[in-house]
Amino acid sequence: MEIIRNPNFEFLAKARYFVVLSILVIAAGILWIARGNLRYGVEFSGGTQLILRFKAPPEIDRVRDAVAKVSPGAVIQVFGETRDNQVLVRIAGEASESDLDAPARAIMRALGEGYSQNAVTESSSEIVGPMVGAELRRKAIILTVLGLLFQLIYIAARFKGGVWGVAATVAALHDVLVCLGALSFISYEITLNVIAALLTLVGYSVNDTIVIFDRARENLRLRRRESMAKLLNDSLNQTLTRTLISNGTTFLAVLGLYLFGGEVLRGFGFTMVVGIVVGTYSTIFIAVPLVNWWYSRGHGAAAPAAKAAL
Amino acid sequence: MPPALQNPLTLWLLLSAGLAGLAYAFVRKELRVRAVTYGAFLVACAVLVWPPYERDGQPGRIKLGLDLRGGIHLVLQVVVEDALNATVDDAVNTARDQASRKGIQFGSAQRTSPTSFGVEGVEPARVKDMRDLLRDFFRPSWEVREAGEAGFSVQMTELYQRQVKEQTVREAIRTLERRVNQLGVAEPVIAAHGNRGDQILVQLPGVTDVDQAKRIIKTTAQLSLKLVEDSGPSSEALLQSLGGKAPDHMEVVSGPGTTPGEPVYYLLRREALITGRDLKSARVGVDENNRPQINFTLNATATDKFSRETGRNINRQLAIVLDGTVYSAPVIQSRLGAENRITGRFTTQEADELAKILRAGALPATLRYLQELTVGASLGRDSIRDGVRASIAGMAFIGVFMLVYYRLSGLNAVVALAANLLILLAAMAYSGATLTLPGIAGIILTVGVGVDTNVLVFERIREELRNGKTVRSAVQNGFDRVWITILDTHATALIAAAFLFQFGTGPIKGFAVTLVIGLVANVFASYFVSRFLFEWILGRRHVESLSI
Repeated sequence: MEIIRNPNFEFLAKARYFVVLSILVIAAGILWIARGNLRYGVEFSGGTQLILRFKAPPEIDRVRDAVAKVSPGAVIQVFGETRDNQVLVRIAGEASESDLDAPARAIMRALGEGYSQNAVTESSSEIVGPMVGAELRRKAIILTVLGLLFQLIYIAARFKGGVWGVAATVAALHDVLVCLGALSFISYEITLNVIAALLTLVGYSVNDTIVIFDRARENLRLRRRESMAKLLNDSLNQTLTRTLISNGTTFLAVLGLYLFGGEVLRGFGFTMVVGIVVGTYSTIFIAVPLVNWWYSRGHGAAAPAAKAAL
Repeated sequence: MPPALQNPLTLWLLLSAGLAGLAYAFVRKELRVRAVTYGAFLVACAVLVWPPYERDGQPGRIKLGLDLRGGIHLVLQVVVEDALNATVDDAVNTARDQASRKGIQFGSAQRTSPTSFGVEGVEPARVKDMRDLLRDFFRPSWEVREAGEAGFSVQMTELYQRQVKEQTVREAIRTLERRVNQLGVAEPVIAAHGNRGDQILVQLPGVTDVDQAKRIIKTTAQLSLKLVEDSGPSSEALLQSLGGKAPDHMEVVSGPGTTPGEPVYYLLRREALITGRDLKSARVGVDENNRPQINFTLNATATDKFSRETGRNINRQLAIVLDGTVYSAPVIQSRLGAENRITGRFTTQEADELAKILRAGALPATLRYLQELTVGASLGRDSIRDGVRASIAGMAFIGVFMLVYYRLSGLNAVVALAANLLILLAAMAYSGATLTLPGIAGIILTVGVGVDTNVLVFERIREELRNGKTVRSAVQNGFDRVWITILDTHATALIAAAFLFQFGTGPIKGFAVTLVIGLVANVFASYFVSRFLFEWILGRRHVESLSI
């Protein structure tokens, strides 16, 4: 069984349109985020988040009324599936470090008094002081940047050319930015799990790029006289089936995680689903064209492949 | 599983033998050597993993994270300033005692900052004696400087400050360990946390009464018994006759009075007759009116001092101060011995907790919460259910796809995936890494990378076959050519995972661990085991065409 026999698409010829498309999408995402649409989870923003399980299906309005007496600004929503009887309560940044769980205790008391007909049977809480949140945010950015930098160095060393490393890194950065834009657009929160997904994504995007670069490296040794553009395009086509199968199956697996993995993994699943699609796209339409552009500067389309010192 | 195999030494030997075998197989490529070592390694992995989850009361080999089994995760900060203040206060007392012993008169001696104290108004003729005294007693941990004509400022050195801080955090960790033991939690984690050096991580898996656990952890439990000089309805009233300010060796502490809502203020001697350190034991009892009280026993040295001092102060009040509050201030009726009690308005539960805390000892400083995560046990179970279900569905889908698309070679990929999972779980069981919810997601991604390795190889073999190669050389070339790609992709993925690991907090760390182990296991399973299976089949008989 085969998906496509001997694929021969002109990926590079149309690359400039996709680059423009990517720039537009990222610009729109950055604008959207700059207008304050990126929501941080409790671990980054600081504050209190409670997940309460009630004995009977909770009437959300009564929960809201009871909680409003102690925390008027609280966000209250149904959590997970209806049959789970779960409600999420969130208060932003009110917790002080000397008495961190005071707001949580106040809410539990208020619910006991104001909505005594339906008891809370179990609760989970996450309370983060303001200091930890800020520290974590800084750490997340530093670690992502460092991760990208080290991958760049590794690839540049393995392929004996900075441009390969830069191209793979730019593609990965592209994926992170598109994912952040998508997350903010459908207003999922940036939680620790989402950060984990983003960092994994960086690894996978680079992984995907390397498979194709590797094929190009192999072809370069065999066919030094051909133009770089043709050689790169052939490499894309030769690995296309693998790209479709590997990324397709992983995509479907994480799609399952997103749809059925439960509320806690939803943000993680979403990031991975978007990330795998975007990661595949960026390899073909960002990373490879970048390498091509670098080696074709000043030679028109017919730069001999031999310029790459491999 | 026989208990002999549970023995860590046996496991270690098994594992070392397995790894040595693998290394040997790597050098000697004979099929038989590989068959035996790969087989032995996988069997060792299976032994390590069994039973993976709790069954028939036997604990599972895979440790579940807090997010899956429920429990408490706290990040606490030790307010080291408390300990510094206490150190300086001790030093001030020493300075005072020594000066009066040598008959040196001075105006005042008190703490001027958390790390220094000042002595003022030393009688002019004895300034030199005072300087010698301070230097003798406080150098080299402190720096003694002259301040003005007849004064000194004594400052802790940076090194000593750091030592006090480290000591405080260490002591806090030890105290917390003792307290958590009283709670009877299995597998607690209490460790220094972060790089600032003053944070402590406490993880209590499976704890159900979250509030009680938090109270027991957070109470400072600084117990002291101090003589009462005076008492009154407000701090101002007490200090009126003293010029509005308590003398150096006294302090004002409040406590609940007999009528609720009207606290009583006490003027106390600063120096304590007894502190929490002098306690030998503490337990709950009942008083004459059947109300709960705490009985405590003093150790031998403290008993001597206590009975001497109480004998000297009969008919005076003795305040029992716990964490800055006077619990009660009974009148000393007679000389007291080793057995004593604390009465007050406790519930039985409060008294019980207090006794536990007193037994475990006081914290050297106040703790602040930085972060708190609690997960209800059944909420954790639900997370497992959904996550595991989605993961199994994802893996089943991948397996079926591989079988349909690559036919018999797909079976090879499925075997490789199973081996991959087995090694991953065994490595987690062996290293004691915890499986968290993101970790389960990490396993799916591992399966994804595993499939990618197989797909890379299979597509390459197909390509070689299309170019007219024989089955044997197509398989050979397929694996050989893809090796570099696999090396590079896994190396970069490992770099990303390594940075993820640096993130440090529970669930994410668990995810990074699964990812790292999964990547390494994958190279073995999807490349070496898969290659062996191909070569083994091709080596047994002549094959004309490959089912791929």
